[in-house]
Parts: sequence; C-alpha cells; structure tokens
Amino acid sequence: MSTDMVSVTIDGVPIQVAKGTMIIEAAKQAGVVVPHYCYHPSLPSPAVCRMCLVEVEKAPKLMPACVTAVADGQVVQVNSPVAKKAREGVLEFLLINHPLDCPICDQAGECELQDFVFQEGRWGSRYDDYPKRYAPVEDFGPDVLYVPNRCILCTRCVRFMESVAGDSVLEVYERGDRAFIGIDPEHALDHPWSGNVVDLCPVGSLISKDFLHKARAWELDKTASICPGCTQGCNMTIDTRDSAVVRLRPRPNLDVNRHFMCDTGRADYRWMNRGDRLEAPLWRDAAGVHACDWDAALDRLASLVAGADGAVVVLAGGRASCESIGWTLQLAGRRRRAAAMKVPMGIEAPIGLVPNLALRRERAANLEGGRLLGLSTDWVGAIALLPGTALAIVLDVDLDDADVLALEAAAHVVHFAAVLDPRMHGADLVLPIATLAEEQGVFVNRDQRAQRYLPAKSAPGMARPAWWIASQGWARAEANRRAPTTASEAFGMLEPFAGLTYRDLGLTGCTVGAGIAGAAR
Amino acid sequence: MAIGVKVMQRPEREVSYIRATLKGMSLTFKHMFQPRVTMQYPEAKSTDDWRIATRWRGTHRMMTDEQGRSKCVACGLCPQVCPANCIKLVPGEDENGNRYPLIYEIDEFRCVFCGYCQEVCPEEAIHVGVHYENSEYSRDRFVYDLERLQAQTHPVSTLWDPADPRGQ
Repeated sequence: MSTDMVSVTIDGVPIQVAKGTMIIEAAKQAGVVVPHYCYHPSLPSPAVCRMCLVEVEKAPKLMPACVTAVADGQVVQVNSPVAKKAREGVLEFLLINHPLDCPICDQAGECELQDFVFQEGRWGSRYDDYPKRYAPVEDFGPDVLYVPNRCILCTRCVRFMESVAGDSVLEVYERGDRAFIGIDPEHALDHPWSGNVVDLCPVGSLISKDFLHKARAWELDKTASICPGCTQGCNMTIDTRDSAVVRLRPRPNLDVNRHFMCDTGRADYRWMNRGDRLEAPLWRDAAGVHACDWDAALDRLASLVAGADGAVVVLAGGRASCESIGWTLQLAGRRRRAAAMKVPMGIEAPIGLVPNLALRRERAANLEGGRLLGLSTDWVGAIALLPGTALAIVLDVDLDDADVLALEAAAHVVHFAAVLDPRMHGADLVLPIATLAEEQGVFVNRDQRAQRYLPAKSAPGMARPAWWIASQGWARAEANRRAPTTASEAFGMLEPFAGLTYRDLGLTGCTVGAGIAGAAR
Repeated sequence: MAIGVKVMQRPEREVSYIRATLKGMSLTFKHMFQPRVTMQYPEAKSTDDWRIATRWRGTHRMMTDEQGRSKCVACGLCPQVCPANCIKLVPGEDENGNRYPLIYEIDEFRCVFCGYCQEVCPEEAIHVGVHYENSEYSRDRFVYDLERLQAQTHPVSTLWDPADPRGQ
C-alpha cells in the first residue's frame, strides 16, 4: 500500500482511496450513495445543505461527507439511524416551503428532492397549518426560468456562475426563510454556458424555457452521443420521446467537458427532427429524376466511380463521422485529386474558469478525424479544382450558393444528403443518409480523442449511414472486395484506427495517439 | 315385413293433456300474485334490492373546476400507469403559463377499466364512472376526447377501498 492511499470502511465496505478524497466520493466508490444537494463533483463544496451528514466513528457529531476528507482507519456509517434521522430532519425543513407541484414540475422524475424524500423522508408534514411561502416565477435569461418556490438554496447555480463560468450574476439574497436566488438587476443570465444551471439544479427551480412542459422525465429515452457543434466534442445525452429529440444534455466526461455543455450545443437539436428528409435514393438521366432502391442506387454509384474519366474530388461536412469520411475516401480511391472538409467558423466562447473547455471557433465536430483520414481544410482549393473534375462526391455539407454554382462545373456529382437540396438539381445521384441521431459513428475531437456516438432514433425511409453506402459502392466498384457489415467493423478497417474497436473506445472515448496525429499533419 | 308396434293401453286420466295444462297454468298464475323479482330495465335502472356498485369502473369522466376547465394538468401519470396504453396526452401551456392538456383522448375500446388512472391522478381529474350504457353507432365514437370526457355527468367510481374491502 502506498502512502498516498488510506483505507476506510464505509457502511461495512472496506475500500482504499487516495488521501484527501472526501467521504462522499469514497462512498461513491464503495457503492454507497450519500444523499446530497449542494455537493457537485465539478463545483466547490460549501456544505450548506446539510444533507450529506454521516456518522463518523469517534467524531463528536455528524460530519458533512462532502467536505470531510477520509482518514486512515476511519469507519463511516452513512445509513446509521442517527444519520438517517438527521437527513429526515433536513428533508422535513426543505419541504416546509416546497410546493407540492410535482405534477406540473418539469423536474419530476429526475428530481433529487423527490428521490430522497421518497427514500428516507417523513411520511407527513408537521407544518400543515402554516401557509407556504410564495414568490412569482422570474425570468433569468434567454433560456432559464427561476421558480423561487421550489428552490432549496443549495447554491449550485451561484457557485457555477461564480467559480466555473466566471460571471457571477447570481447571488443568494435575503436571509433565513426569506432567502432566494437573485440575479444582478443590471444583467441577465446570458453567459454562453449558463444553460448548465438548469442541469445542476437538483430540483425544478431553474428550468429551461425550451424544454418547458414538453415531456416528462420518465418518457424520455436516453442515448449517449457527442455534440456535433464544434471541435471540443462534448459528450452529451440525446433525450428522445416517441422518436423525436426533445433535448440535449451534457454527459459527464472529466477529460473533455466535465459535466457541462454550452447553450449553442444544447439548442442545436431541431435539425435532427426534420420532417422533410430524403427517404429514397434519387438518380437522374436524360428523362429526369427517378427514385430507386438501394440495389440500383449502389450499382449506379459504383458505375459512376468506376467510370470516372479523370479526377475525383471529395467534399465533406464537419458532421460526417470518421467511418463516413474514411469510406467515402476509400470509394474515391486513387483517382482522388482533392478532399476537403468545410469548416464553418464561429466565435470562440470559453466556459470561463475550466481549462481547455470552450465552444470552439471551428464548428466542425470531426475536423481532427477528417485530418487523420486525409482530408484537408483547404475548401477553396478543392472548390477551385471542380471545373474539369470527372466526379465530385459531396458528403453531408451545408453548401452555400457559391459552392453549388462551382459544383455545376463538375462532370458528375454524387450527393450524400439527409435533406434534398433543391439547388443541387444537377446531381447525378442523391443518396439519403442517416444523421448523427440515427447512426453509430466516431468523432475525433481537437485533443485527438476518438469518441463514439450511438443511434437515438431510427432513420426515415430508406436512409442509411453514409459509411454503409460508400463501402457498398466501393465493394461493387472494385470487384471481389468485402464491405464492412457493422459500424464497428467499418471503424476498425480504417487505417488511422487500425486495431481499435468500439469496445476500446467505450462511452467516454480514448486518445488515438500523438504518433498517428503527428504523421497525419 | 310388418313392423311390430306395441300399443300401450294407458288409462284415460294419464294420457289427457287437460291435466298437464292446468298444472302448468296454475304455476304461471301463481307467480302473477307473487312479488316481482325481475328488474324492468331499461325503464328501471336499479331497484331497492339491486343497484350498481359505487366502486363499479365504467367509462371515464373528466372533472372540471369552477370555471368549467378540466382539472387535468397534463402531468402524464395516467398514460404512464395505463396498462392498456389507451390514453393519449399532449401537454401544452395556456395564456397564464399553466400546464394543461392540448390533447387528451381515451380509447374506451382499448381500456381495460382497471381504474389505475383515477388512482394515480394527483389532481383528482380523471375518474372512471359508475356507468355502463355506452352504445354508439360507429367505432370512432369510442375514442373520447377531452370535451366529451368533461361533458359526462354520470357518478364517478369510489374504487376499491383497502380500509373497507367489502364495500360496506
């Protein structure tokens, strides 16, 4: 045993943890949940809620688990009668003024107050004779509403704005039972990362206007995903209800985004629910445009690629997965003259006081993945090569009018698109692809971390993942080749990720190695 | 070949129909002077001896507040608890920012009348009714929308009370 480790016993479970670990974290490792409100792993702990009181042997009174460091040989009782009674008392106090509006509260179902009261609260209230405190709902900012009645004053939001976002516009006003969370009257809660206070709030006091009354927590299906907004690659959860995405929430990953996600990424889900999606492959001949099945479309794709009399240019969008980019490049093969990714630029919005976490300028989630696979960012150069190009393959790009005009110069155009672009009427073949919410894939973020996203809903009509279309077309163009059958296989067959499987990446991803990255640059 | 038929020679009093008819009619006339046991449905819906149980679970009724609006706040518990999946609920927000059901529909054909919706409702809005006359001329009339549920006037079920299991 190294000197940095101490052994403690929590609820009878002996474990060894690093010196300086707080009891609440040690208990988590021992598999014991200490009920808590003010504590959050990404925020400083003020120990104000008194909910995490635990019994520590030889301590004169109950200790708050969130600020008490473990000591060697310590014996902690989380669920002893004394600790339970203390927590029951805390819960009773919290419920004195907490309204019984769970039926209309957006947090119901994922509310920590609800959970802990159900778990160890009192059966009834002893304060029925007194009216509850009432204050009207306040508008805090672009997407945040404050319901003071429901607030339990854990101050997570205050501490987030102060010590994580670095924009302390929230503060606890008044004292005692009149206390409430107030906002600086001169400011709004409009920090680009302020939406996180909604997730941090353990009760339904800070609620999202966007999600207000939209769905109940228990109706949501949750899928691990990666934000496609920028090169940061924040881990997120897609919440779907009846196959419609209703909100995006951050998914904890201490190496990438901790517990946070920016408001831009959070609001960017409506495109996933578009109803005007392309549902069948379309190909064009002299007679006009025809819808066809995949067999005909793949044959057509293979003949276009195999019969390309000259150079091939690949144009990819920043939301295309590594699999899609890799297999589209494979499809283009040796005739590829240029391959570029379009990288929209925006304003960099750092979270404030967390290092290496920001909404990045490069709004292309898979910029690094594209680089590893051989895409350049020289979009203008690739567009300039289009005149005289035999075949242009467009992979899920938000094209502007100039790009569309330039594409008319290419002899043939294959368009991988989720939505039919009426300006692209000259395309020889339009292939319906699945979006981020409908396929599995991998993005590589700016720190060379390959991270998986999982399908949250089914693709409309005949739409398929772009890697499947490209690899099937490749297998037909080059006779006797075997195309990958699963996304994991498609990923493992790509050169920069050789030997890696989805299992290796897990749900939090892994770094694909500086050596590979160096070679690609 | 002749068929052998045996003719029974019974006495006259045994084979006469008059005796049997009188016996039968006497039973009939006897019952005319005895108390009635049949309920005259549909003229009578209940009798002193028999009435529909107060915990009967029939087609639904949505309760309304003093302003005539439904008490439902669209919390989503009834569609969640419904074992037959017969409740369709889409929440919305009214002009005062209150949560209310934009769409509330119950498919009474699919309903199994378990009464869980009434039991789970925190606002005491949806109830199963003490009601059993549900004839309609078309199937689609059995999907009751919010307006129809609010317009029902029949009494609502008391459900089964664990404290009074036999309904006394």
